Amino acid sequence: MSQTPTNSLEQRHKRSTKALFIWTSGWLLSLALVAFGPKFLWHFSTSITLVAIAVNLFLGYRMIVVNKQHLEALDELQRQLHMNAMAISLGVSMVFGAVYGLLEPVRLLDSTPSPSNILFVMGLSYLISIVINSRKYQ
Amino acid sequence: MKNRLKVLRAERNWTQSDLAKALDVSRQTVNAIETGKFDPSLPLAFKAARVFGLAIEQIFDDEHQQSD
Repeated sequence: MSQTPTNSLEQRHKRSTKALFIWTSGWLLSLALVAFGPKFLWHFSTSITLVAIAVNLFLGYRMIVVNKQHLEALDELQRQLHMNAMAISLGVSMVFGAVYGLLEPVRLLDSTPSPSNILFVMGLSYLISIVINSRKYQ
Repeated sequence: MKNRLKVLRAERNWTQSDLAKALDVSRQTVNAIETGKFDPSLPLAFKAARVFGLAIEQIFDDEHQQSD
C-alpha cells in the first residue's frame, strides 16, 4: 500500500531540495566570482574571466535541470502551486521590467536601471504567490 | 467534484497522513481533495480507487453530470 522509504514523496522531496540548494548555492557563488573576481582576484585577466563565466553558465544549466527535477518530485497539488507561482512571477517581472526600463529615458530615475532589481521582484513575487496559494489549499 | 475520501478514510480509521502515504502525495493534497478545493488528476483518482478497492465512480462524483 505505502511507498518504500527511499521512494516516498518525503524522501524524494528531501533529495531534490538538497540538490537544488547545492546547485543554486554553487551558481550564486560562481556569479559572485564573476562579479568580484576580475577586480579583486585576477586583475581583469580575460582568460580567467572567461573560464569563470563558463563555470557560471555550467552551474546555471545544472541549477535549471535540478529545478525541473525538483518540480517533478513534487505531488500534483504542490506542482500546481509552483506552476502558478512561476506564471505570476514571469508576468510580474515582465510588466515591472518593461516599465522599469523606461524610467530612465522618461527621466523619472537618475541612475541606469539594474537587472538585479528585476531578479529581486521576480523572486519576491514567486515567494508571495507560493504563500498565498498554499494558504488557499490549507 | 464531490468525493467520499473522508468517509472512506474514516471507515478504515486512517489519518490524512496514512492516506497521503498510500497515495504518495502530501497531507495538504489529501486535505485539499477532501474539502473539494482541489480535483485530483485521473491517475491519482485511479490510485485512490485502487487503494480503497472500489470503482472510481464510487469515490468521485461529477456534480455536473447530475444536473444534466
